[in-house]
Amino acid sequence: MRLNRLDLTRYGRFKDAQITMPLPPAETSDVTVIYGPNEAGKSTAFNAYLELLFGMKIRDHPYEFQFKRSDLLVGAELAIPSRGTMVLQRNSKRNQSLLDHQGRPIEETILSSALHGLSRDDYVERFSLNDDGLRAGGARIANAQGDLGQLLHAGVSGLTTIATTLEQMTAHVDRFYKKGGRGTELKVAKDRLAKISQELRASRLTPERERTLAAAKDDAKAEFDATDQGLENARLRQAALVAAQTWYDQAENIRQIDVKLAEFPDGPELPRGAEAAVASLVATISEKSLRVSEAKDALETLKSTISACPKDPLAEALAHELRQLDQLTFDDAPLQARAATAASDLDRRIADREALGAKINEALVALNMAGVPVESLVLTSIEVDDLANAAQAVVNLERDVIAAEAAATRARGQLVDAPPEPKDLSQLQATWDKWSAVADITLAKNAVATEKAQLVTAVASLPATWADLVAAGLPARETLLDLTRAFATAAADLATNKAELEARETAYELAQANRQTYEATPATIDATAIAETRRKRDAIWVEHRSALTAETAYEFEGAMHVDDDAQARFAEGQDARGQLVAARREEATARVLLDQAQERMNRVTEKHIELTKQATAIASALGLAPETNPAAFTDRHTALLQAAAIEAKVANAKAELDIHSTHHSAALQDMKKAANTVGIDCSDTDLPSRVQAALTLQDSVRQTWNRWTKAQQVLADLEQEATDATTDKEAAQKSLQSLINTLPLAGRTAGEILAALPNLRRLSQFHEEQSKLILRIETLENAIAQLDASALRIMAVTGAENDPKVTSLEVIEQARIRISAEERAKEKRTSTQTEMTKEETARKQAETAIVDARAELVGWFKDQGADDLEPTQRVAVLSERDNLRNTRKAYDELRTSARAGVNNELFAEELAVLPDSSRAAAVDQLLKDAQHDRDQAFAAHREAIRLYKEAFDSDDQSNLTTEQATILEEIRAGARNAAVARLGVLAAKGALRRLAAERRTTMLGDVENAFVGITAPAWSRVDVWSQSEGEKLVGIKPDGSSVPVEDMSTGTMGQLYFALRVAGYRSFARDLGPLPMILDDIMETFDDDRAKAALQLCSDIGRSGQAIIFTHHAHLVELARKTIPDVNIVDMPG
Amino acid sequence: MRLIVSADTHLGSPIRSVALRNPELGERLKQASFDTFRRIVEMAISENADALILAGDIFDSDFPDLKSRAFLITQLSHAASAGIPTVLIRGNHDALLDHTNHGSLGPDIHLLHEGNPTVEIGNAMFHGLSFDKSHMAKSLLPEYPEPVVGRTNVGLMHTSLGGSPGHDPYAPCSEQDLLAHGYDLWCLGHIHMPFERRSGSALAVMPGIPQPRHYGERYGGSVAVITLGDGVPQLEHRDVGHLRFIEAKLDLTECGDQAEALDHIGAALKAAQDPLRFTAVRLQVATARHTADDLQVLATELLESVDDVFLDKIKVLPPKNLTDDKVNDLARLMRAEVQEDGFRQACAEMLDDMRNALPPGARDALPEDALTELLNEAIGEVSLSLHGVDAQ
Repeated sequence: MRLNRLDLTRYGRFKDAQITMPLPPAETSDVTVIYGPNEAGKSTAFNAYLELLFGMKIRDHPYEFQFKRSDLLVGAELAIPSRGTMVLQRNSKRNQSLLDHQGRPIEETILSSALHGLSRDDYVERFSLNDDGLRAGGARIANAQGDLGQLLHAGVSGLTTIATTLEQMTAHVDRFYKKGGRGTELKVAKDRLAKISQELRASRLTPERERTLAAAKDDAKAEFDATDQGLENARLRQAALVAAQTWYDQAENIRQIDVKLAEFPDGPELPRGAEAAVASLVATISEKSLRVSEAKDALETLKSTISACPKDPLAEALAHELRQLDQLTFDDAPLQARAATAASDLDRRIADREALGAKINEALVALNMAGVPVESLVLTSIEVDDLANAAQAVVNLERDVIAAEAAATRARGQLVDAPPEPKDLSQLQATWDKWSAVADITLAKNAVATEKAQLVTAVASLPATWADLVAAGLPARETLLDLTRAFATAAADLATNKAELEARETAYELAQANRQTYEATPATIDATAIAETRRKRDAIWVEHRSALTAETAYEFEGAMHVDDDAQARFAEGQDARGQLVAARREEATARVLLDQAQERMNRVTEKHIELTKQATAIASALGLAPETNPAAFTDRHTALLQAAAIEAKVANAKAELDIHSTHHSAALQDMKKAANTVGIDCSDTDLPSRVQAALTLQDSVRQTWNRWTKAQQVLADLEQEATDATTDKEAAQKSLQSLINTLPLAGRTAGEILAALPNLRRLSQFHEEQSKLILRIETLENAIAQLDASALRIMAVTGAENDPKVTSLEVIEQARIRISAEERAKEKRTSTQTEMTKEETARKQAETAIVDARAELVGWFKDQGADDLEPTQRVAVLSERDNLRNTRKAYDELRTSARAGVNNELFAEELAVLPDSSRAAAVDQLLKDAQHDRDQAFAAHREAIRLYKEAFDSDDQSNLTTEQATILEEIRAGARNAAVARLGVLAAKGALRRLAAERRTTMLGDVENAFVGITAPAWSRVDVWSQSEGEKLVGIKPDGSSVPVEDMSTGTMGQLYFALRVAGYRSFARDLGPLPMILDDIMETFDDDRAKAALQLCSDIGRSGQAIIFTHHAHLVELARKTIPDVNIVDMPG
Repeated sequence: MRLIVSADTHLGSPIRSVALRNPELGERLKQASFDTFRRIVEMAISENADALILAGDIFDSDFPDLKSRAFLITQLSHAASAGIPTVLIRGNHDALLDHTNHGSLGPDIHLLHEGNPTVEIGNAMFHGLSFDKSHMAKSLLPEYPEPVVGRTNVGLMHTSLGGSPGHDPYAPCSEQDLLAHGYDLWCLGHIHMPFERRSGSALAVMPGIPQPRHYGERYGGSVAVITLGDGVPQLEHRDVGHLRFIEAKLDLTECGDQAEALDHIGAALKAAQDPLRFTAVRLQVATARHTADDLQVLATELLESVDDVFLDKIKVLPPKNLTDDKVNDLARLMRAEVQEDGFRQACAEMLDDMRNALPPGARDALPEDALTELLNEAIGEVSLSLHGVDAQ
């Protein structure tokens, strides 16, 4: 692939800039030197080239300062094998950014296949080189230690870090794992894993561990059970000993008591409490005997008391009568108590009844109804209220009817005649509004006039045919600007190239004259000429030797002199020949420069002619003279466009005026039609004022009409109110009539009834009070009669005579006194009789108690001896006997209870050895030993249980489990990475050996030529040494000494690296085809000799493909001109 | 009837990821399997489930600890006291569930086995078998009880079905035979990836491992909530895991500079965030400029500002042109070199040596049949290292 031209269309500070790299003549080196000072944009151009090939950076683009990223555009003309020359462009879109020369998206594969699938990084690594890269690359390949494979790889790929990379990968592997390594990551991890495993094993409760702990727990339990049993046995032995000792001691006590008991009487044991009971019985007999005597005396006294209180024989009959009297009541009180006041109360009530009768008569007279039964006029308060409400409603409604009729009469009198009804003017209003909007057409007329005036001014400086020119179409402004710019550039180029051509012609003429001068110098004879003189001399000699004539002799002599002279001049003319060669070279160079200048002149001239033609055509299109300078084109273009624009405005204003006039007429007609519908009929001239007046007055007409319709509505409402009031009044009168129909009030008006209401209320009240008094009087008279009847029955019982001086109440009171006296005597008799009964009972009980006590004494002493003693003495003897018996029994129980729960066998064994004073200590020691054994077994069992429980409750070790898993993951990842790295190193080393074997034939010669060429005369060649670790490249000095690569100086290493890259480029070009190689000021630190050699290497690259050299050093440009035939020198665009 | 179905809880088995080197994450997830099981039990209680179903591999035979069994009993008793019975079977990791050695688990915790293959809960009959062997070559299906007519029949089985990569064959059984057995629902365990199969009204569910332990289990993290009614069983998967593993693929080959690469990586890490759980992300990066170590440094720095996301691993894939034989002599010649028998023999011996140096639990990192794969990676690694940013 070859880069013919780079188009910086919109990129960085460049706009429509181009860098052209002309194709050199065949069989010459394809080298282009692009010259530009610092900041001229060389890096920009290089980046643009890369972005053309591989796409633009999507964001934060470094060259978007003048143009937005979305507007960036670069292009190039590329010669692509199998496709030919193509113009491609690249914009900054994310997709379909590669375009053809017309801006249409095309497939990326066009470029990617031409680039053999290389990425941008690959391309930069392989096909670009700058000064820093050269020096750094040289320094880095020292790490290869001369390894041929690594050095050739650096040349082929441009990558210089393979040695470092392989070392780093190896170190990475060794850090992870190294056989026998102690501090490797793997070893550290494994140590940690071992520790974790140990801790986990200790804490993990596996079933096996649980079984072990459970078995230990069970064993401890069994041991505890056994020692516990031993302790129990020891305790039983000790208990048996204690029981045996007790048995032994109590048996002796019992024997002694048996001796004492033999002296006491026989008989059963006294019952419990016998002693106290006997004493109590003896005391009871004494006490009861005294009580019998006292009771007999009391009975005699009570009998005399009863005799002093005899019984009243009439008391019962009187009491019966009084009970009947007490059952009679009056006003919820006993009759006797109320009868005392009834007589005086009766008189007052009778007087009150008579007074009420007089008031009733007075009320009837007031109602003008004397003689009418009062019952027919008695009403309840509710009935009176209903009657009052009904009468009042009739009175009120009668008043309302009169008021409503009066108001209606007044309203009727105030209602005026109906005003005219308003008409609907909305349509007229709408047409008025539309007409008002278009009424004024003055503005439109003024606009037309103004635009016409401007047009006259604008076309004043234009030809009369300006409108035809515009109609025929004006060229684009951009075209004018481009042409103006191009024309100016072409004119400047023409002048520049003309001057340069003249300078080149002068230089060539000088060089030609110089060469001719040197050629004319005899000393400049060259080897060909002396060979020719020698050949002529030898030919004449041959002729002379054959002829041996004087003529031939003279000829030979002459030829010999010529030849000798030539030989002499040749021998003396080395410097002159050199000057001639230089002069010829300068002439050739001058010729080339002249030709190039001529060629450029021709191109510029052609371009100028072409632009002139274009200018003539455009001048015609603009109405200008053909010879008009394009600089004037834009002004004329602007003037024509302005004139056209103003003319368009005039047309628009006229059209606007026409439209406005049309709307004006239409609106007037619409308004006229609307005016006719509301009765306005007049001329078009008067129509607007008439319509405006109608619209102005329509509000007052509508208000007058509204007021009249409202008054009419008020009158109708008042008449309706009068009608409604009359209806209500009639209904109320009917209701009142229904209430008085049953009363002797028929025929009375509502007002009369309202006047009668107070007397009706009083009449009802008097009648109710009178009825209550009559009832009361009848009740009082009945009570007095009943009391008198009772007094007569009492007198009949007592047989008393009727005495008028004695009232019924006094008779009854005397009877009550007599009854009270009898009741008191009866109470005395009853209480005395009760006392007698008590005394008799007490006497009998005392006698019985004496008998019972005596019998009980006999019981207490049943079957006992010593009956000759008083009960008190007898019971004391027997109690002492029983105490002895109880003591003996206690002893027996004590020894028996001591045996309770004691092993019989052990008891017998221990009893058999008593008495033995040391036995207790021996058994106690036995118990202590058993207790000790049991305590130890218990502690062991507790510990076993604790361990078992602790195994379940032990601390959570999940952090260790997690760390274990994490470390294993790290080891897995580390092992995988280490294995990959180790295998990579092995594979890479093998591949580098293969590379050395594969490329040494094709590349080594190129490397040597390049290296010797750039370092001559310091180095004469390179050699390859085979060593155990592989083949090594060494440099050979002119004296035959060898220097390993790693021992070369830094500068030499850089030159070797350059040589390797040149060889690598040629290898790539041979295998896959060339790609442009970009060299960025690689020679800026070289002296002229080295730079010339480097340029020679660039020329070598150019012979295999294409070399593009960026430089900002003018002397390098000149050096390139001298060093590389047909080199292209291109300036960075401004 | 509402069932919470889980399996393969592997109590005590830790999470395997270098992400847990992060102290915070390591502390939070050190008991992830237990914490997740607590979450399952709490879910069963809060959902008022009719039963909790565990289809085997409750424990992990690599981490035998009776404390795990005590934990299980505590949790299931907690569920039972809330009125939720548990039905479970043994898997190939469940020696700790051997009732003959360790006794029963408690009331309302029904371990189904050959002597007690069926339990009745509500209107449903739960059938299951447990076997003592860690390997079971034959299908267990013929030994399962016949379905009870007129009742809902639910089966529990620990099976590898037709086979699954990464899982030993265990009680293999075809899905068709399973679904044709007449049960309404099969609750399965052993394969850690969730799936469901339906045939008519029958449903077979593999709930998946509730707490994924490593990158290979990135499709688990849930339990199944199944509603049994008159029609087809309704299935819903609920997330319960505390950590998930995901893969994020990145292409940095078009990145112009480091800042752009950082943006891409940052965006991928932020996209990995999950509000409900931690995420361990494995980055698979196509790049010609960065080694795995470079990317590790960049990603670690970025993760400082991305909550709850952690780095599991970075795998770098060199772009094709880096190893293109046509223009890359070194790659071409390395490829030729690795085909040589002698070279391969030497490499195999080197790998054997390295593998034997590893602790047994990590030797699977270098399987014996992985030489070709490792050599291909090695070629890419060399090319990448040569072109990495540090190299230039």
